[in-house]
Parts: sequence; structure tokens; C-alpha cells
Amino acid sequence: MALVLYNYDLDENCYKVRLALSMLKLEHETIAVNAFPGREQETPPFLALNPMGTLPILKDGEQTLFGAEAVLAHLARTHDPAGTWLPVEGEAFAAVMQWLFFASGDLSAAGRARANALFGPPGDETALRAAARRAIMAMEDVMVANGFRAREWFADERHTIADVALFPAFALSRDFGVDHDEFPALRKWARRFRAIPGFLTMPGIPDYH
Amino acid sequence: MSLAPGWHPVALSGSIDPGTSAGTHLDGREYVVWRDNSGVAHVWEDRCPHRGMKLSFGFVRGDHIACLYHGWQYDTAGRCRYIPAHPDLDVPATITVPVFATVETCGMIWTTTDAAPNRAAPPADPGEAMAVTTLYADIGPLAFLDAVRALPPQPFIPGDPEPQLSQIDGALWRLTAGGDVLLLGMQRLNDVRSALHVVIAGSASTYAGAGQSHVFAWTRALRHRLATVPAKSEATHAEAV
Repeated sequence: MALVLYNYDLDENCYKVRLALSMLKLEHETIAVNAFPGREQETPPFLALNPMGTLPILKDGEQTLFGAEAVLAHLARTHDPAGTWLPVEGEAFAAVMQWLFFASGDLSAAGRARANALFGPPGDETALRAAARRAIMAMEDVMVANGFRAREWFADERHTIADVALFPAFALSRDFGVDHDEFPALRKWARRFRAIPGFLTMPGIPDYH
Repeated sequence: MSLAPGWHPVALSGSIDPGTSAGTHLDGREYVVWRDNSGVAHVWEDRCPHRGMKLSFGFVRGDHIACLYHGWQYDTAGRCRYIPAHPDLDVPATITVPVFATVETCGMIWTTTDAAPNRAAPPADPGEAMAVTTLYADIGPLAFLDAVRALPPQPFIPGDPEPQLSQIDGALWRLTAGGDVLLLGMQRLNDVRSALHVVIAGSASTYAGAGQSHVFAWTRALRHRLATVPAKSEATHAEAV
């Protein structure tokens, strides 16, 4: 059962999947897609895999998936025998779902703000940055509150795919002009996240050598 | 241009872990707040003298902070000690970052640009302090304090219900509500934005968890008020004084 990731290195949604593959220690093949400037993911061979023309795309044997959060859920459900990355019992399952949908919903403003800043697709820069900042502030509020009950992660007592889905938007926020100064709880969470075995950086996220 | 005289809070102590750094502002100027691995906090100008990169983007190694761009490392006195591109170089003593007096009291990190002879004592430490949060708003310090007066917290520990706000140092205010005592550190970030550092002067056995959550909920209500109720302008305040 070979895993194949269609990847663009500067895409934070591809980065979510690269993180999960590395943290779950999953062997896989990576196919580089010329997303910028080539927009190769919007050409017929890729539209056959994902009609929306977005990345990432993951093939797992006969199954093809698009959308980073769905890919994270699939990898955790099928390739994490311990079941800690996607807990299915108690409150944690719904909490993971909430943050996955948040990552692909409200927080997607961060991805669009960053794409607008780096690659120049049209967008209202001010509105995108404000929406991204609001979503990141919501994350900060939650992690401050979690701190009062000694919870270090978003959805459970330990890290889950929710943390993987949320990390890139915060770690890359300086790309679209949102500094880390006013988010101390997220700074601490990001530091813990960087210590998870298998953590990888990407361009824009420094590797403190 | 230098800062207003006196001590200014720049972060909650608990917001800066050993071995980490963060950027902040005072009166529009950029500062890096960092804590070395032995736990000592430092406040410096947030600028590497090499290429002007913010040191707050860098990383802490032991008792040095290193710039993200080219890895120039500075000791706790702000003197450059190591340049990776020239590993054998005895770095000239002239390569330094401006460093400022730094103390920790009341659960916050404080700095001042006052020269040592004229420097006032920092605010006295109240003993045990439980950090809550730092609240940011696009507003001046006086209007910020108006909002605190207009929306005081409900007490966590019952007591005299009449809240009282009193200034105990240039940038430090004591807010009593019922049996609670809060310490509020006011940081003027720039002309339009301020930060309020909120700490409970009380013990962990009383306030850890539920007490902190209670005061945090008040700061969220205060933020909502600041976002929805127009404030008097600072100019109006100045005329009133």
C-alpha cells in the first residue's frame, strides 16, 4: 500500500501532510507539483485526481484524497495503531473534528492571506489579514484557557492531528504580516509542537540549528 | 527619543520561557524580551547591528541570543561574541546591542531606559502572583483604565463589593474587587495601542485554575467592551487633567 503525496513545498496545506507523514513515520513517495508559477495542479492530469485543482492530494493504494484535513484524518485512522493522533473515544473525537473544521474554515483566511502576500492571487489583503488575525486570536484565547487546566494541546491531553492542522497558519503568520508578539500561549504551544518527534520545518519556519 | 521615565512592564514573566524570545514595543520603539537558559530575563533593542534583523526572530542558546539571519551571537551584556562566518575572529568589543535594565516583579518583566543614577526603585513585589493574561487594545492607557473602571471584575473571593483602582507605581495599578487583588501593568505600545498585563496577587492554592479562569473571563468581557463601546480620546483626557 504505497502512499503518494502530490506536494508543493511552499504550500502550508501540503506541509500539514508532510508533518503527519513524518510524525507517523510513514514511508511515502513525494511528487513535486509546479504550483507556482506553473499552476500545474489546475491542469487535466491533476484535475482528474482533484476536480478542485488544489493541493495536497494523497493516494493511498486505490484511494485518492484531497484536502489536508481529510488526509490527516485518513492517515491517523489507518496508520496510527495506537489511535492517539485521532482519538475516537470521549470528548476528544469531537474536539479534534472541531479544530480540523476550524483549520479548513475560519483559519483558512490565513492561507489565503499568505498566498495573497507571497504569490499575488487577488484578494483584499486588509480583510484577509484581519480575518486571519481573528482566527489566531481565538486560538490564543483557547490555549490561555487550556493553560489554566494544565492542558498543553488543542483537543486532548496529548497532541493530535488537530495540532498538526493548526500549526502552519500560526508558524507562518509573519508571511502575511501577523507577528507572534501578542500570542504568548501560541508561542509556547508552537515550541512544544516543534519538539514532537518527526517535526519538520518548511521555508518560512526557521530551523534553529 | 527615550522612554517616559520609570519602569515599564513588557511581558508577563510566564510568557517568556527560558531559552525563548519575543518582540514587543514601548512608545513605538522595538524591543526584544528574552530569557537565557539560566532563567534571567533581558530587554534589548530588537535589532541586530549587522543587518538590522529583529533579534526577537532569533534563537537563544545557553546565555547567548543569536540572530536568525547570520547567527551572530550576543552575550547577556549585549556584546557580540561569535560570528559563524568568521569562527576564528576575536569579535571587536564595539559590536554591541543596546541593553536596558531589567527586573522581574509582580509577575511581570519590567524595563527602564533611565540612567542608573536617576533610576527609581522598581515596584515592590507583592509575593505570590498568579498570571492571567495580557490584554491588547487599540486604545491609549487612560482610556484603557476608564474601561477597567466602567467594567470592574466580579470578585472571585467574596468581600467588600466596591471595586477600587489605585496607581501604585508609574505603570502599575492595583485593582481590588471583593477579596481579590489584581495587579495591572500598563504598557503603552505606541500612539494607538496598549497592553494591560493582568496578574492576581494571591496564592496558587486559592487562584490556580478556577480563579485564573474567572479573571480571564473578565478580561475577555473587557476586550469586548473596548471593541464595542467608543472610548473618550486621550486628547479629551489631557484637556480634563
